[in-house]
Amino acid sequence: MNAVPSAGPSRRNFLSVAGIGALALFSGGVLAGCGQRTTSVASNASEALLPTHMPLQAAAADIPGTAQGVPSAFYKYPAPFRSVQTAPLKGGKITAITNLFGTAPNARADNPAWQAIEARLGGQVDITSVSSDDYATKFNTIIAGGELPDLMLNDGAAVPNIVEFLQAKCADLTPLLGGDKIKDYPNLAAIPEVFWKQTVQAGKLYSLPIPRNLTGGSGFVNQTLLENVGIKSTEDIKDKDDFYRVAKELTNPSKNQWALGSTKFGLTMLHHMFRTPNVWKNDGGKLTRAFETDEYMAAIEFAAKLYKDGLYVPGSEGWTKSQMVNSFISGKVAMIYDGLPAYIGPTGYGRSIPAANKANKAVPFIPVGHDGGKAQTWLDNITFGTVMLKKADETKLKEVLAVANFLAAPFGSEEYLLLNYGAEGADYTLDASGNPVVTDRALLDNAVPWKYLAAPQQVVYDPSDKDIVDVMHNAYSKLIPLGVEDPCGTLFSPTNASKGAKLGQPVSDAATAVIAGRGTMDALKTAVADWKKNGGDTIRGEYESALAK
Amino acid sequence: MANPSSTLVAGLGRLKPKDTRPVWMEKPKPAVQVAKTIALVIICFLALYPLLAVLATSLSSQSEIANNNGLVLFPKEPTFAAYQTIFAGGVVTDALIRSLLITTVGTALSLVVTVAMAYGLTRRDLVGGRFFLMTALFTMLFSPGIIPSFLMVKELGLLDSYAALVLPTLMSAFNLVVVRSFFMNLPQELFEAAKIDGAGDFRILVQMVLPLSRGVLAVVGLFYAVGYWNAFFNAMLYLNDDKWPLSMILRQYVLLGQPMGDSAVAEIAVPSQAIQMAVVVISLIPIVIVFPFLQRYFTKGVLTGAIKG
Repeated sequence: MNAVPSAGPSRRNFLSVAGIGALALFSGGVLAGCGQRTTSVASNASEALLPTHMPLQAAAADIPGTAQGVPSAFYKYPAPFRSVQTAPLKGGKITAITNLFGTAPNARADNPAWQAIEARLGGQVDITSVSSDDYATKFNTIIAGGELPDLMLNDGAAVPNIVEFLQAKCADLTPLLGGDKIKDYPNLAAIPEVFWKQTVQAGKLYSLPIPRNLTGGSGFVNQTLLENVGIKSTEDIKDKDDFYRVAKELTNPSKNQWALGSTKFGLTMLHHMFRTPNVWKNDGGKLTRAFETDEYMAAIEFAAKLYKDGLYVPGSEGWTKSQMVNSFISGKVAMIYDGLPAYIGPTGYGRSIPAANKANKAVPFIPVGHDGGKAQTWLDNITFGTVMLKKADETKLKEVLAVANFLAAPFGSEEYLLLNYGAEGADYTLDASGNPVVTDRALLDNAVPWKYLAAPQQVVYDPSDKDIVDVMHNAYSKLIPLGVEDPCGTLFSPTNASKGAKLGQPVSDAATAVIAGRGTMDALKTAVADWKKNGGDTIRGEYESALAK
Repeated sequence: MANPSSTLVAGLGRLKPKDTRPVWMEKPKPAVQVAKTIALVIICFLALYPLLAVLATSLSSQSEIANNNGLVLFPKEPTFAAYQTIFAGGVVTDALIRSLLITTVGTALSLVVTVAMAYGLTRRDLVGGRFFLMTALFTMLFSPGIIPSFLMVKELGLLDSYAALVLPTLMSAFNLVVVRSFFMNLPQELFEAAKIDGAGDFRILVQMVLPLSRGVLAVVGLFYAVGYWNAFFNAMLYLNDDKWPLSMILRQYVLLGQPMGDSAVAEIAVPSQAIQMAVVVISLIPIVIVFPFLQRYFTKGVLTGAIKG
């Protein structure tokens, strides 16, 4: 070893200095395109001119929906009607990027459904389908590449500086869709106002909604196990002490049965019982974050008691989704939290529970207030996401909106049948009741993600079992009226976008520690205080400013 | 005739009579044989159990999977529904053919480029040889990042083409170093003799160097082939789904554990966990087929460059 430091650069430190210099050189140029936010402000959605809601004279539902947002329900597919008379594209082409869930579809040349849809559209739609796990990477790469598609899914997470991106690159749709202007697109006009509110940023209509059924629900319960302990429905549970008693009776470790067991404790049903706010609470313009409230703390303390007394499967908080689903289907766990859409469909709980054990039946959990009063649920599933349109001249925008109008054709229309079930004959046939019965190739032909570019308001439909439809509709009828929206759901806060998740993680960790018996309520309160100090109050201020506009 | 005292000395390592054998060549005692057998059986069981569980789960129904906490060992009613779903419609078979072509062509091109550059860099009289070597080594330390790579591929007009999966990763600096190191350890006198006899560099490479380098070429070829076979990130970034290789298609099946409410409307009730296990089985098959043929080269070649002389 040389005891005297060398006077000039050695080979080793030359490489590292050169590397750091090159990195800085590249980073400066590349990151400039990513939007270093110095001027973003919180934005309010309430200023925009929302499209006028114009319900379609669509097929009559077996159980009609409500103005509050409870979806319509159908036991069978109605006689199809044509909702779009003129082909939107005149031989032209549009491009799109959106999520792909599940398998890659059959290619266009070997996909009769895709060909039939494009024949109806009168042109070609080139879709870049990206798995949701990869969407942020791919979409940001495409933004950097500079060639944006005509339609782009905003999943809420891919673009952190969304307001700047919308203002710089996306079309303001207010002049084309605001107010009565939307009458040129009747299928889009049939989407209720609650969904359009989610598409507004900085006071303008910037995207199209992909509606869902408003609430993610409160979880599910194995009704057979519940009836075995003398309870017909979770609505018969009187209060939190009665819930505790029922949970205790449902727990029998010697028979490998527990009352509760969900990933991250499945706290949603408890929060609904204790009326925890939906992310934020708004008291006359003053905002309080949910975990700052007494209701949140009470729910956590109750969960800790349930865990300490052995009513949760030990270690279940770390389960994967598959483990949780398997435990519920097998009857090991009586109550879980999973989204309401997980009930319906070929692999939903409505079918998979009886398939595993004919005696068992699952139903959605309908919560009761912890004190015997009404519970409070969350309207936390209003849209899947929104779809942005690239800036273009008015002619092009109208062409793209016409395509979106086609894709948003309502349930009961010919277009909905084509988009969701494929080409008649190749992908489905109609049974005696007029319900589509899919063929073997339908899964791959229908995997093209049309419904993640534009979609109508959802309905409840399952021709295989009337009971499943009734159970789902009953759940929505009970849960939606109890629901509250996140008052900041349509607002944008730059601080929340850049570090909200990171700031909230210690609070979540502290709550987990309390429930698992490793931490104290004082530590949780300290974590909340740290959140406020480290940026939470800034986020609150930005949202309050936006609300005040 | 064996002398007991010489046997004792042999045990001390100083004298070794011809008629005693080393300990490891002696016939083992029965108790030792039994212990070894038990140990091997346990090790084989530990290795085979997860493979059996994966295969059995891929042949099970959702009810059976749920009732067995997610892993089945002996399905009561085996079903090939998961495999039927995966192979239905030709998406997987088309992707398999694409992967085979990309792997074959990519591996061949990568070997050609790597061998050519490695051989060139062993020539002491190569002008700028050190510069080219340092440039290649530089890429081992610094990668360009996702966006610069994407912009480069886009500028070259390679987006949505199979060349985008081959050209950006055509040569690995690590493999270049391994091959170059091997070439430099070959006896140089052979090549000097060939030169005296009038052979050019190309002839020496093809007729002398390559035949002596089968081991290292098999190893490096296997590294490249596995890399091309498993590559999905570049496929996600540069290709549309109609050109996805098998790794991307199978990954989509694995990601089928997405929220059930957003799954396809089709009425095919195949459990997603069985499909995930079927995907694992399918992805193992090519490696299981290829590896036994290359194993002898792999075992020998993996030490290439690590031991001098």
